[in-house]
Amino acid sequence: MSSAILETTGTAATMRRNFWRGVWRVMRRKPSRLFGAVILLGFVFMGVFGPMFYPEVLPRDTSKLYAPMSAEHWFGTDGQGRDVLAQVITGSRYVLLSALVTAVITVVLGTAIGLFSGFKRGRWDTVLMRLTDMKLTIPGLPLLLVLSTVWSFGSALEMGLLLGLLGWGGVARAVRSQTLSLRERGFIEAARGLGLSTSHIVGKELLPSMAPYIAMNMLIAVTGAVYAQVGLFFLGVLPYEADNWGVMLNLSVFGGGALTTTAALPYMLAPLLAILLLTLAIVLVVDAMDEIFNPRLREE
Amino acid sequence: MTVIARRLAGHLARGIVMILVVATISFFIVRNIPGDPVAARYQKLLEQGMSPEAAERATAVMYGFLPQGSMWEQYVDYMTGLFRLDLGVSVTHPGSPVTSVLLGAAKWTVLPVLAGTLLSFLVGVIMGVYAAIKRSGKLGDFLAVSGSLLHGVPQYVLALLMGAIFTTLIPILPQGGTADILYEPGFNAGYIGSLIEHATLPVVTYALASYGGWILAMKSSVVTVLGDDFILAAELRGMKRTIVFRYVARNAILPLFTILALSLGLLFGGAIFIEKIFNYPGLGFLLIDSVVNRDYALMGGAFLLITAAIIVANILADLFYSVIDPRVRSGEEVSA
Amino acid sequence: MPGQAPGVRIDGLTVVYKTPAGELPAVRDVSLTLEPGSITGIVGESGSGKSTLALSLLNAVQPPGRIAAGSVHVDGLGDVAGLRGEELRRARGKHVGYVFQAAQNSLNPLKTVGKQVLDLGRSHGVDDLRGLIRDARELLGRMGLDGARVLDSHQHELSGGMRQRVGIMLALVLNAHLVVLDEPTTALDMITQANILRIIREVHAERGLTTLVITHDIGVVAEVADRLAVMYGGRLVEQGPTRQVLGDPRHPYTKGLIRAIPRLTGDISEARALPGRPPTLATVPERGCVFRERCELRMDVCDTDDPAAVEHGDRIVACHAVKVREHA
Repeated sequence: MSSAILETTGTAATMRRNFWRGVWRVMRRKPSRLFGAVILLGFVFMGVFGPMFYPEVLPRDTSKLYAPMSAEHWFGTDGQGRDVLAQVITGSRYVLLSALVTAVITVVLGTAIGLFSGFKRGRWDTVLMRLTDMKLTIPGLPLLLVLSTVWSFGSALEMGLLLGLLGWGGVARAVRSQTLSLRERGFIEAARGLGLSTSHIVGKELLPSMAPYIAMNMLIAVTGAVYAQVGLFFLGVLPYEADNWGVMLNLSVFGGGALTTTAALPYMLAPLLAILLLTLAIVLVVDAMDEIFNPRLREE
Repeated sequence: MTVIARRLAGHLARGIVMILVVATISFFIVRNIPGDPVAARYQKLLEQGMSPEAAERATAVMYGFLPQGSMWEQYVDYMTGLFRLDLGVSVTHPGSPVTSVLLGAAKWTVLPVLAGTLLSFLVGVIMGVYAAIKRSGKLGDFLAVSGSLLHGVPQYVLALLMGAIFTTLIPILPQGGTADILYEPGFNAGYIGSLIEHATLPVVTYALASYGGWILAMKSSVVTVLGDDFILAAELRGMKRTIVFRYVARNAILPLFTILALSLGLLFGGAIFIEKIFNYPGLGFLLIDSVVNRDYALMGGAFLLITAAIIVANILADLFYSVIDPRVRSGEEVSA
Repeated sequence: MPGQAPGVRIDGLTVVYKTPAGELPAVRDVSLTLEPGSITGIVGESGSGKSTLALSLLNAVQPPGRIAAGSVHVDGLGDVAGLRGEELRRARGKHVGYVFQAAQNSLNPLKTVGKQVLDLGRSHGVDDLRGLIRDARELLGRMGLDGARVLDSHQHELSGGMRQRVGIMLALVLNAHLVVLDEPTTALDMITQANILRIIREVHAERGLTTLVITHDIGVVAEVADRLAVMYGGRLVEQGPTRQVLGDPRHPYTKGLIRAIPRLTGDISEARALPGRPPTLATVPERGCVFRERCELRMDVCDTDDPAAVEHGDRIVACHAVKVREHA
């Protein structure tokens, strides 16, 4: 990755070009990865533009409650006659929005704390790491359940905020270990020796080489967050946000008896498939990133 | 030996601190609930004609602390109650102390988690060895990828899919509950049979959800050990294949035992979704219920118990590892 | 079963490694004879192929490497390169002993040394396991260790020197008479080095062994070996009696190696390092002399023809310039 110290041959532009060429090569070798990136983009597209194709309140067709899959309703309808697929699409905005918020918070908090910890070491480091450890000991889901009694964090932003606050641990650890290893390899000392300021060191030397790890850990945290929010709504502890995927699961199972009769099954399967596809896409993209940035693991 | 004793003491101390911290958090959450249910309850009892002292006592019994007095007094009261293992009385189970409700539910959580963990551990470890040995071939690749995929799927997705397939689409297993109500609980064939039938999906689902982790961990461990010098050395000394295999297996499985001990920390809180979906009245189910019904005493107790299990498991895991690995046992190393 | 020290004849051995660029030779057309009862030292820099050569004596070259040509004939075993399966496994440890570097963890960290000796015995069909333990204890004692205590120890409880001695014991406890030692003194302090070398010499004489020592340290060879072979870039460039080769090196590489050693007396600037760097697996030239890039006696023929190994009495040298000079 380009940096004042690491640059030895060629210009930054050539290095960047070679980098993207390498990315393309990796993607092509295992087309499944390209697939993953495409799906991910598809979801983003769906989240941003999807709801625009539908009216604010979805039309109800009371003559077709829990209708089976058909050409008109690809995944049937729900208990109030609304199209299931439409709900999945409009619901994706919530999921993606809160995932975005979670991602931002995990990255910002995690990187800040990880850098601080790795830089300062000593007592601060121990304290912060103990804190992260403690946070890891307290079980996430039960904690969220208990918290739901004091704070109803149903909106996308609040949900994203809370999950982000609970989930920065992974990024922090990764950033800290990267900082420590770079420190060990003398990068920080060399930079200081050249008289570079701390902010320059952090911004131009450390962060660029850590960017891929941060990105990967962030994506992993996002997958966890998606599961968590859908799961919480599914359990019915938070007030309904109608087209939410988790709520759909809840209603289909507990309202429509999807586990007893086949009628509401499509209603349950649609959001399930959406979740699986989204996380599959993220896993594939992370896998691709892993191969790109860890040449040691590249299979020949 | 003292090295281990010292480490153990450290862990115990940290564990106790954690539990106290969690208890405190529970306490403050309950106290800070908008609307102050404790005071509200107290008021209601007064309105119902109870004397202030009686109302006080009743509320104290229910929530674990007195509604009057400063925050500190209430806190102290709560903590002392904790040491007496008195967690208050459950509102949703009128009259029953929280402790007994929790104990009653605990066994229904332990069953799927314990059985599921052991099952997935056994299968995962064996498959992991295969995946490592045959890692350049199709079979090894398939095992690794399938394990990876399963690992990534969250528990409730699996549970819903399993439920959909095996109770709805192909209705061969019961929907939920612990056993058919037709049977009298006891040591009779009918009841036990129904028990097993109803436990199948929870156990298998939990096992499926955990399996991915085991196969990946074991494969990685075996691959690491296979690259170790002493394996090559054993081969060069002409050791029998079975002996070399045993060297690899025992060394590879060692770190997994620590993970096993840690996963037993999920004994109380690991099957929340499974319990809800399959209607299994374990601690997770209880926790959800208490949250929805605002039964704070029960909620606090369940949360505490779930967290305590994790903390204890952490301590045991560390202790276990120091006993099993001779390198850690002696605590010192001689350098060249 | 060979009664005493076996002779070894390596004939035209070529070992290749499979790489994305094709199969590249790590050892090329090496011929070397180990006389029964001799100690031979192979000297080379890292990447010269000496360790691969050593492994070939047990047919233990690890994939992606394999023996592509030649033979390794051991008295009493036949061509080791042709042995497979059970036959090969039985030969290892019982007929040929291999001693790892002290730095490597050649012992199972979870088991005591004694238990591993028992495993060794069981693998080779030893009936009297108690006797085997006794032998192990005696061997360790012979090397200056508290046998009983060492047998009860785990690897991490032993120092580098102790581990090296355990390695030697394991190579000898089944009464093998051909022993290969890979860098026996690397990563050990000077005093321990001297001890180990003394032990090697004494044990070699007492048990009537044929010994092969692989090292990058000329000092080690000078101390211990009767015959010296020099490897460079996968080829054997010079062989001969140790004293002679060290005192009168013929091959330009050998000369360069010796010249690079600073002496205790005299002018230190007399010591001159060889210019350049040794070739790696990927940079070994396909044709011509491997050493030509760094050679001061380089001629035109060196670029095209691989120098053949020519005997000059006790000495064998593979160099065009030397051949020309000898025939002049």
